[in-house]
Amino acid sequence: MTEPTAAVSTRGLTKRYGSTPALHGIDLDIPRGLVFGVIGPNGAGKTTTMRLLLDIIRPTAGEVRVLGKAPRAGSAALRRRIGYLPGELHLASRVRGRELLAHYAEISGPVRRGAAEDLADRLDLDLSRPARSLSKGNKQKLGLIQAFMHEPELLVLDEPTSGLDPLVQQEFHGMLRDAKAAGQTVFLSSHVLSEVQQTADQVAILREGRIVKQATVAELRETALRRVRVVVEESQVPRARAVLARVPGLEELTTRLDREGAVALMAVLNSHVDAFVKAVATLDVIDVTIEEPDLEEAVLGFYGEDEVR
Amino acid sequence: MKRVLPLFRRTLFDGWRGLLGWSAGIVAILAIYLPVYSSLASNGQFEEMIASLPPELVNTLGYDQIATGAGYVQATFFGLVGLVMISIAAVGWGTGAIANDEETGQLELTLAHGVTRGQLYAERTAAVAVKLAWLGLVAVVMVLALNGPSDLGVEVAPLFAAAGAFVGLGLLAASASIAVGGVTGRRSWSLGAGAAVAVYGYTVNALGNQTEDLNWLHEFSPFSWAYGADPVTEGWDWRIWLVYGVAALFLLVGWLVFRRRDVAI
Repeated sequence: MTEPTAAVSTRGLTKRYGSTPALHGIDLDIPRGLVFGVIGPNGAGKTTTMRLLLDIIRPTAGEVRVLGKAPRAGSAALRRRIGYLPGELHLASRVRGRELLAHYAEISGPVRRGAAEDLADRLDLDLSRPARSLSKGNKQKLGLIQAFMHEPELLVLDEPTSGLDPLVQQEFHGMLRDAKAAGQTVFLSSHVLSEVQQTADQVAILREGRIVKQATVAELRETALRRVRVVVEESQVPRARAVLARVPGLEELTTRLDREGAVALMAVLNSHVDAFVKAVATLDVIDVTIEEPDLEEAVLGFYGEDEVR
Repeated sequence: MKRVLPLFRRTLFDGWRGLLGWSAGIVAILAIYLPVYSSLASNGQFEEMIASLPPELVNTLGYDQIATGAGYVQATFFGLVGLVMISIAAVGWGTGAIANDEETGQLELTLAHGVTRGQLYAERTAAVAVKLAWLGLVAVVMVLALNGPSDLGVEVAPLFAAAGAFVGLGLLAASASIAVGGVTGRRSWSLGAGAAVAVYGYTVNALGNQTEDLNWLHEFSPFSWAYGADPVTEGWDWRIWLVYGVAALFLLVGWLVFRRRDVAI
């Protein structure tokens, strides 16, 4: 089941802080060379999972393998092969960005000469300013550079775009594409789906310490809810209702007067597009609309109603 | 371009302003205290001053030895103002080594790199020890510089012994802070532990000074271990090793917990 080449693999990974559970037995497989996104509301266990991979915290139960090694046993040598951006990045040092990066370069994998400067140019960051005087967004850039500069096999990025303006976010997405092209694996978290949707190949949805869904973005799209709308003549409404009621996965059917003599039947459709189209084909329709699936809504569905913010 | 001891060098470099400040403070205090010795000693003002103070206070401050130059250096600097200074510096640096860095969230990022917990703990402790030793050296150089001009009559080897005891007391407080930081990761506990160790040593010693009945308290005071045998005149005493030994014990306990616990929670 666990392929030896998996970048990250966990089995029953459990973490409790005292009596407070944070992760309830997570099984996760991240194949090498993919961008893997984990999304979930705050407190779902994203940061806990990432910290476990880096041996910053230790699991209460279960197994973790990172690049084929247990984080504890892999120790420093393993962490040199990983680039990590913490979710809450604090850089209070008086030293300049360049010197801070030189320090991190000393304690991580070998950094190609000029790599840090190239990344700084790419993200438009001035390395001659003291780290602690930088704005939140610029500190985040420094954090990204220290994670990327030694071209690690695995990048673990906790909320990487937080604080970045849209232009820099685009550049960051470019960095992810380059990393993927170079065969690096990326494990990133976000509470914004659109970001994961744009960058990730696979997605895990985490909620209250459990993986509630793991899928490719394409699969997620297939299972996502679509809003559908069928307009028929008023006299056709009872028949249309009966036909639509038989479509599997169609819910929340409502009607509304569309215009003089015509009624719109609206519903939410989950995945059975084919059955829906065939059913509608038997009616005399004035208009049909199938909306682009709203992944955000799909994910919020997994989060549960109470988590919707 | 790997160079040795990256965390040690980082800690030293990050703290150079503080180290400079404390060094200047020690130089300034000695420059104020020591030159007045010769004038006070020559006209018998010490006897008057000591006679005018309550005996309990004299015992607490250790001013009964003040009549010799070496005793004066001990009572005013190594046993009092200098000790307060090195203790504050030690607790600050000791808290900074683990607990402060952890509470500000920076420790997490450092530990996510290619360093082990033991390496981080050892290198940062070493940096604190080197800074404390530096303060001891500054004191020695300053006392030697003023030795002749101020007529102190302090001998070199015993002065080094006293400075060793002085640095040991600083290291003990620092170790308590580092160790409690290693165990808890909490800044306030780390700070409190270092301060408590410093205050404890001084207070128990001062109580032990009060009467013959309380003399036994000296056995339990690191301050007494360090200074009880009067190193500034008598030279190195084996009991000074006790101070370093207990510091090492603190550090060991801190390391044992730090290497296995969760960081940054």
